[in-house]
Amino acid sequence: MIYDIIIIGGGPAGAAAGVYSARKKLKTLVIADSFGGQSLVSDSIENWIGVKKMTGLELAKMLEGHIRAYEDAEIKMPEKAVLVKEISSGWEISTDKNNIYQSKALIVASGGRRRHLNVLGEDKFEGKGVSYCSTCDAPVFKNKPVAVIGGGDAGLEAVINLVPYASKIYLISNKELLTGDVSTQEEIKKSDKVSVIMNADIQEILGDKFVSGLKYLDKNDNQIKELKIEGIFVEIGSVPNSEFVKDLVGTNQKGEIVIDHKTGATSRPGIFAAGDVTDEIYKQNNISAGDAVAAALSAYNYLLNIKKNENKNSN
Amino acid sequence: MTKVLIYNTPNCIYCQMAKKFFKDHNVAYEEKDVSVDDEAREEMIAKSGQLGVPVVDIDGKIIVGFDESAIKELLKL
Repeated sequence: MIYDIIIIGGGPAGAAAGVYSARKKLKTLVIADSFGGQSLVSDSIENWIGVKKMTGLELAKMLEGHIRAYEDAEIKMPEKAVLVKEISSGWEISTDKNNIYQSKALIVASGGRRRHLNVLGEDKFEGKGVSYCSTCDAPVFKNKPVAVIGGGDAGLEAVINLVPYASKIYLISNKELLTGDVSTQEEIKKSDKVSVIMNADIQEILGDKFVSGLKYLDKNDNQIKELKIEGIFVEIGSVPNSEFVKDLVGTNQKGEIVIDHKTGATSRPGIFAAGDVTDEIYKQNNISAGDAVAAALSAYNYLLNIKKNENKNSN
Repeated sequence: MTKVLIYNTPNCIYCQMAKKFFKDHNVAYEEKDVSVDDEAREEMIAKSGQLGVPVVDIDGKIIVGFDESAIKELLKL
């Protein structure tokens, strides 16, 4: 069985590509680790157009439900693509469940995963003070001083999640300005628990059994400084999940798949990509969905052209 | 009978996934919300050596996070 299109990923990009592909009556397979993408763990999504407020789980259910509404779309979940190979008829995808699937066109919408600080102590103290899920773990740090690393949307959201629980919150960014949502920044300023530290590079996470502090370089005066904290929430963006396809398509220094932003085409004809796995500047759910629509329509046209050429050759 | 206890917080997606897993497999479980129950929070940290949820206690054996295969093994599912 050769699918017309295989879509790798179940976030907003994967779901959008799935819906558009199925509506074109293409034999579609979606291979996804889970639905919802990186927003799955979000407590409150307030910028998905058309929905004032929902949780990540609600978004995931919406996306999954929309694809499942189409008979032409098949879903394999939870399953992860581990390698893509070129074959004469298109692409062959092997997965962590030791399955092999084949398709004529491929849309890579595998998103990103949490970027780590890569400093001393981070691995050692994961789950022992270092957390990557503020919605999950904020209440565990009741009456404890904590730090949030990262001044983007996710960092600000982590601060909001921690305000009801932590005794003190240091919001630390390596940039000169916070980059996250301005309305969330204003909300944070209302809490006297929050101190913002800008221009700081984290050097080391300290502790014995659990985290007890962190060292950072204050780039304003080039001094190494220490904070006494018991929790660290790391929210410094994502790294693209592009490893399984990186030998086939062009990627940039960050490992992001380079796409034509009009069509979603990669450097390899027949492979399209959308969302956080690509070199799209704005890592946003709405953009991922929109980009994936472009990729799906381009993949549809690609398949039409293949068919046309086949007909020409057989006549 | 196997005793299953989950330490969780209200907005934790992995906790919800774990509880859904128990329900889907007809596993009776007790839950403790460590966002309001200070005693349970200390108990969880002492048992698991972890500052994160979910923590699942199956007859005294501790599983950190929603580890489906580990849970299946302990519950012989």
